Amino acid sequence: MSSTTTEEVTDRVAGGVVDADERLAYRGVFQRLLVQPEIGAFIAAIAIWVFFWAVSVPFGKASGASSILDVAASPLGIMAVAVAMLMIGGEFDLSSGAATGALGIVLVLLVRDVTGELAGAGFNLYVALFLSLLVALGIGWFNGAMVNRTSLPSFIVTLGTFFILRGAKLGFSKLIVEQIQVGKLDDLEIFAEENGTDRGYGFLSKVFAGEWNRNTHIWEGRDNVYIIAAIVGFALLVLGVYELNHRRGKGNPIGFGLFAGGIGLLIFGVLTLHNTDDVSGNRLGAILMFAGMLVGLVGWSLARFDRNENRTFGIPANASQAMVAGLIALGLAVFWALRLDPDNAENISWLALVTEQGARAILFMVFVSAAAVFMLISVNRARRVSDIGGSALLAITGAATIAMAFFIRSESGTHKFRTGAFSALLIIGGLIIVWSLTSMLFGKRNKVVAGADRFGLTLVGLGVLGLLVSIAARLLWVTQAELDAEIPRTIFSVRILWFVAFTAVITWVLRRTKFGSWTFAVGGNKDASRQVGVPAGRTKIQLFMLVSFAAWLVGILLAFRLNTIQASTGDGEEFEYIIAAVVGGTALTGGYGSTFGAAIGAFIMAMAVQGIPSARWNSDWRFLFVGTILLLAVIANNYIREKAEASR
Amino acid sequence: MKKFSWLAILLAFTLVAAACGSDAADDAAGSDDAAESDSGSDDAPAEEEAMEDDDAMEEEDDAPAEEEAPAEEEVDLNQGSDLTFHMITHSDDGPFWSVVKRGMDAACADVGVNCVWMPGNNDPGQMVSDIETAIGEGSAGIAASLPSPDQLIGPLQGAVGEGIPVYTLNSGLNDYQTIGATTHIGQSEDVAGQGAGNRFNDLGATTVLCARQEQSNVGLEERCGGLADTFSGTVIDEFVGLDADQTEQINGIKAVLEANPDIDALLGVGPVIAMSGLAAAQDLGRDLIIGGFDMTPELLDAIEAGDIAFTVDQQQYLQGYLPIVLMYLEATNANQAGGGQPVLTGPGFVTPENAGAVKALSAEGTR
Repeated sequence: MSSTTTEEVTDRVAGGVVDADERLAYRGVFQRLLVQPEIGAFIAAIAIWVFFWAVSVPFGKASGASSILDVAASPLGIMAVAVAMLMIGGEFDLSSGAATGALGIVLVLLVRDVTGELAGAGFNLYVALFLSLLVALGIGWFNGAMVNRTSLPSFIVTLGTFFILRGAKLGFSKLIVEQIQVGKLDDLEIFAEENGTDRGYGFLSKVFAGEWNRNTHIWEGRDNVYIIAAIVGFALLVLGVYELNHRRGKGNPIGFGLFAGGIGLLIFGVLTLHNTDDVSGNRLGAILMFAGMLVGLVGWSLARFDRNENRTFGIPANASQAMVAGLIALGLAVFWALRLDPDNAENISWLALVTEQGARAILFMVFVSAAAVFMLISVNRARRVSDIGGSALLAITGAATIAMAFFIRSESGTHKFRTGAFSALLIIGGLIIVWSLTSMLFGKRNKVVAGADRFGLTLVGLGVLGLLVSIAARLLWVTQAELDAEIPRTIFSVRILWFVAFTAVITWVLRRTKFGSWTFAVGGNKDASRQVGVPAGRTKIQLFMLVSFAAWLVGILLAFRLNTIQASTGDGEEFEYIIAAVVGGTALTGGYGSTFGAAIGAFIMAMAVQGIPSARWNSDWRFLFVGTILLLAVIANNYIREKAEASR
Repeated sequence: MKKFSWLAILLAFTLVAAACGSDAADDAAGSDDAAESDSGSDDAPAEEEAMEDDDAMEEEDDAPAEEEAPAEEEVDLNQGSDLTFHMITHSDDGPFWSVVKRGMDAACADVGVNCVWMPGNNDPGQMVSDIETAIGEGSAGIAASLPSPDQLIGPLQGAVGEGIPVYTLNSGLNDYQTIGATTHIGQSEDVAGQGAGNRFNDLGATTVLCARQEQSNVGLEERCGGLADTFSGTVIDEFVGLDADQTEQINGIKAVLEANPDIDALLGVGPVIAMSGLAAAQDLGRDLIIGGFDMTPELLDAIEAGDIAFTVDQQQYLQGYLPIVLMYLEATNANQAGGGQPVLTGPGFVTPENAGAVKALSAEGTR
């Protein structure tokens, strides 16, 4: 796809744009977006959220969201962002997990008096924060300097630091306080009563452990703002996407309208599924989703492809055959699914082939898989891109997901989850949306009008803002009616703001500053970057110091939250940070990645961990599920990135 | 000459150990050389001979008891000071295991032997290799915990086959006889869980969440199983997250609590997870009857304040202390405690009534 064909050149001339150098060729907004490393993770995050939201009642509530945000923010998110930065710079830090606990312990020990009583020789908290920061930066500097000096892989060097820190945590805790935990930081409150000074605890505990208790913030007008902002935001988003698409010469208002309407129906179907707990409601939701997908696909085909070829409803003949086959398979799947008796749980157990229910379940799975395969083939043909490998991969992914959905259902303890037979359809719907997004963006590219994106981008930006306002209003405030219904207490911690701020600053540094460019350079090729004048050694040391700074921040947040820090805190967690970074699109080899993506990766992991108990799925299967989700996220990410790069 | 005397001592110990083991072990270990005939009839003379050969070694030994003791005991104590016992556990050096280790250290100092603490950090593979290391080093006795019996039974049977006395501690109640261990020192996890169940009945709970901090730990599952045996209401058994990431643990418990509005009580099968349960309940504004297992100062504070109803105390100090003493007595005096039955160290309960007294001892790290 990267070579310019005669056809494309002709199209460009026809569109009024002539590019002398294809490297300088204008690229559409979506293409620029999709080559970003984090986009796959972003789509996966939405799919996972929708999945759990549909099958679990508490997951979608504000209290569920507060838990997800809490797990995602600290320690996982902050560390993942810093670790992603380091990985882009081509190094690993296995000591990062142990360092979080170690620096929390250092802080508490500095405040505490060594005799075990808080009164006496302890430092003021501000001094302790400063000193522990010095320790943190020292650890980072040591890691970086050792890697530079010895030229050993950072994997080995920081593994050493990991064990050193782990031993030091335990050893010093026992030596100084004769416990394997140090605490309690909130004893400073008692200390303040006796001594008249809290050593800064009162103010700093608000800074590091402040809370927003949703249940004490009543706002009756909330729902108006929430609904209006959501509708306006969604409308602006649709208009913006249409505008961007239109500018690229792909304007077909009817087709696009159908596409948007199809997505709307899909969302409405998911809503219905979420809000119901009975069989007929589930059926209605499934039918709406199915209809939405159908309308959306046809609409998209209309919008995407030129009509002056031999096509029916904008779909090429060979593609339409596969499409019809897919629709038949999907229809059969729905038929079987409707006949499943969700209340008769014993009969639906997985692989219970002897029972009618088990047989139906398997037939359903087979049909949905077939539907997925046919749909994918059809759209690939419509794209006129021979990509059987990619399609097969997605199809297998879809089949595996469905198998998992059934597996979950037979293992689940709740009616709600068992009746989630249609969650399988949901996943397929999500996959097809993902797929059609990719296909629409990487199809034949021509008639591009350069520089016409601003208006559309503004609309999209305003739409996203509207949706964010809507979500924030819904999450942060409560109405009296909700309180009367005795909803659980929901607390949003200031840790989330720290996480957002940290991610924003680091992402800005990576993308907009010289240091960020140097990070990509040393991660890509250290020697080459040095030859063009990048201070490679210094950059690497600074990256290690950034990670230990993050560990310091996390250690403080932990200390203020838990008051007591266990010596084992953070041990072994470093791999979770690395996984979150990889899920977010950061390459293990360095030189490629995204800190924003790592933050999304942290969200994905938090959702996977929180979703299972929320859905009351048997926790024995937890890691199987977490692993599968992570694998799917990485595969989707990789697939999209390959497509995006191939279409450059 | 000196080398030879060391060898003789070592040989003597092997034979003593073999003599104390089972009959099968006797045959396996006693096939070495002529020295066997010396000890075959009577162990003690062989030991004494060996010791008398070696005067130089005495200088190094400065155990205080040695000088006060009469001549014959002095010989025994010297032998004791050369004994090396291995304690191989799945310890993660958490609050619980540090007390076990203190018990072991105290026992080793009290009886004057060498002890090696081998924490497996919840990794059965590590424990297997530790057991093999201990056998290779000619251990005089192995005390091991059995978090995952299937992987560890084989290597420990190997140790028994080598004539090394084996004791199980903490977890392993169901398997110590299979291994051929002398006895098991610990708390019956079932019984402890059953005790907790009765207590929840008394406190009027209807649905208990049994929150676990590890997966595939037989001991923890037995605690929850014991709870289900005696508790009259519903038990929901869940793994909610590791101790190393308390943020995840707290939110995992919150998720389970929200998904099950009926839950009115929580049993954390460890001290850290019990505190996490308290934090989760406070976050959600739910009023739960919370029980815990084992102790930390923090947990005791919470019990004293009435936030947590009780904790099951398995007195793990004994689990570190007793195996060393028993192994010492088996090695030096051919005693076998337990009579084929386990030696139970618990359960005891810490409640708001006795929390103050226990807290004082716990602060010293022995409870």
